[in-house]
Amino acid sequence: MAAPAPRLYPIQVPLLRPEAPLKPTLVPPPPPVEPGQRDEVRALRAALDPAVAAKVTNGAELVRAIARRRREATLSTGVEALDALLGGGLARGKMTELAGRGERYSFVVSALASATSLGEAAALIDLGDAFDPQLGDAAGIDLRRMLWVRPQTMKQAVMAAEMIGATGIQFIAVDAGLPPLRGKRVGDASWVRLARTAESHGCTILVSAPYPVTGTTSEAMVQTFAARAKWLGAPRAPKVLAGVEARLRLEKHRHKKTGETAAVFFSSLITHDSSLIPHHS
Amino acid sequence: MTRLACFYVPMFSLAARLRSEPSLREEAVAVVEGNGGAARVVAATRRARKKGIAAGMTLAQARSIMPKLIARSRDAECERTAQEALIEVAETFSPRIEDAGSGMVFIDIDGLERHYQSEEELAKAAIHASDSMGLPARVGIAASKLAARVAAELPKSPVVVPPGDEATFLAPLPLARLSPEIGAATMLHRFGLASIGDLARLPESDIASRLGEIGRELHWAARGIDPSPLTPRALPPEFREGMEVEWPLVALEPFLFIASAALDRLMKRMEIQGFACKRIEMTLTLEPDGFDARGIDLPAPTRDVKTILTLLRLDLENKAPGAPVAGFTFTAHPDRPRRAQLSLFGPAAISPEKLATTIARLISILGDGRVGMPVTVDGHLPERFGVADYAPPPPPDLRPTPARGRGLLAARIFRPPIPVEVKTRDAKISSLHGEEVEGDVKVCSGPWKIEEGWWRGDPAAREYWDVETTGGRIYRVYQNPVAESWYLDARFAW
Repeated sequence: MAAPAPRLYPIQVPLLRPEAPLKPTLVPPPPPVEPGQRDEVRALRAALDPAVAAKVTNGAELVRAIARRRREATLSTGVEALDALLGGGLARGKMTELAGRGERYSFVVSALASATSLGEAAALIDLGDAFDPQLGDAAGIDLRRMLWVRPQTMKQAVMAAEMIGATGIQFIAVDAGLPPLRGKRVGDASWVRLARTAESHGCTILVSAPYPVTGTTSEAMVQTFAARAKWLGAPRAPKVLAGVEARLRLEKHRHKKTGETAAVFFSSLITHDSSLIPHHS
Repeated sequence: MTRLACFYVPMFSLAARLRSEPSLREEAVAVVEGNGGAARVVAATRRARKKGIAAGMTLAQARSIMPKLIARSRDAECERTAQEALIEVAETFSPRIEDAGSGMVFIDIDGLERHYQSEEELAKAAIHASDSMGLPARVGIAASKLAARVAAELPKSPVVVPPGDEATFLAPLPLARLSPEIGAATMLHRFGLASIGDLARLPESDIASRLGEIGRELHWAARGIDPSPLTPRALPPEFREGMEVEWPLVALEPFLFIASAALDRLMKRMEIQGFACKRIEMTLTLEPDGFDARGIDLPAPTRDVKTILTLLRLDLENKAPGAPVAGFTFTAHPDRPRRAQLSLFGPAAISPEKLATTIARLISILGDGRVGMPVTVDGHLPERFGVADYAPPPPPDLRPTPARGRGLLAARIFRPPIPVEVKTRDAKISSLHGEEVEGDVKVCSGPWKIEEGWWRGDPAAREYWDVETTGGRIYRVYQNPVAESWYLDARFAW
């Protein structure tokens, strides 16, 4: 048992002053984050005519509104079923992936037609060198607004997309072509960089590949399944390819429940007579 | 009264050389003219002059004083481009300029008083602008070309001669400042005249009777009278920059290193004029003789040195000149840079310069014809296509409603078509065997006959079929009836 320390002789002066016990203090309440909640602003709005007050906003509200608008802004793919699956279309400033061994190219062409019909500049990074300008024209693409890039490897394709995204072109479709992918697969860092380019320049990117390649960097991923061909004509009579039915499933989305499916019919007949088409979903 | 400014670069041959090789500025350098034992120093840097190197010495004499003296021969190409650069600096101040050659330019500064507080401020700005282009210029301002030139040649710069004070300004200066001919100068010296003022005080008729017309002109000059007007220069159709290298270059990298600096200067000059480069031409002087000339068209006017350098590098890598390079000249064809018109309500326009730069770099990486705008081509063969320069039209002022998709099935075209072995039964395709496809055919439809070019030397006659294999793959195949060969032309639903 330790003996208690002897008291200092009264004439001895302690070298160290005993510290005063710290009083617990609370962190002061933060200022209201929502400036609209401040009494002064509320009073100002109350004093105004309701019609005028509804139009009055402040900087914080404006910034939030712009961010919300940016988040909600979409680019239609021109295919209603796919737009519905993606919650309105391709997210602006984001990367969306369309992967699988089903119909992909018709969606890419349709999205290009939709973007150019808005007067926006678009680019097709066509790794498979498979684009047919005549068909693109028939599908409604304004070819004057479309930049066609024909790289030879996946690495070149991603690099080209990144370079083009930085120019301010609003929509870029990267089509990886048929499997196997040309050249080596690119690293995840390249996709991260491409996604950042899309975000920083407000560019919408659609990546179409035979299997998922973008990993976690894409905003949404839609899986395509083997398409079914539709033929016109009686069983033993000469037939005509009417089109194909593409089947889709939402595999990943940052703001939406996944698992939804859809079926889309693409016609091979350059016609507006829907009676010729046997099935339309 | 007309007011003129004179830009004067002393020791112009040296200044031009140092502009091309800025790393030599702090060194002891002499510019020499002539070869071998006849090589004489024309100008030398301050460091060399402090050691006693002077113009007129032979190179051997100069080297005996300073063995480590760096000697450079006079480079006509450097001097020409430096003169152009000086002119372009002058053009940033006034559109009315006169090229007086060898580091001297006159400009008309009438009306500039509203832009500068005083003429002295204008002269200082001119000196600064010239310095930023690598040319240490002196500036003199006066009412006549003669007085402006003499003012610019004085060591203390800038010198502004007040209007009407030309004769007073010139009077105390030595007669040599008027650059008289040797005969006239000797005669005036014999008369005992030392300063310009001494000459101006003599009667004009007496001088004219003794020296003739030259004497009359000198007397006018001494009184500050210069009747010669400013002769404005027309805009050049192209911009040139180049130099001769000290040792012939045999590797690409050192050449590009020097070329980069020259291109940088060239683009800076074009920027001053508000131009961009639409086409760049490169002429290489080869050792021991010969030239290599090549030109590169840019997708849109640009001033991006990195892009142009990349294009030059790829061009030289693809087709080497085949001999050491002793000199080079870049000729840039100017064009007005395209400007994007921003819209408040419609889609944003793309910066044409940025787009052109990117496309040029992509072309240099991917190859010619692999980047551009797709173009439809008249004909019937599905694989036909054309590529044109990409120059999108301006976006609409208002954002239109997106068009509804046409729901058209897109085919992936195989370029070139893939040969395939086809088995037929009852005039229908029964199976496909080839590189891309292997299997029996479930459904086929066709044939659709296409024939074109029968009037040309290479006619095309084909019979197309749409087929679906048992595995669910859908292809378009065609047969060449003449060769009886089959090809895969496109694939659907993938």
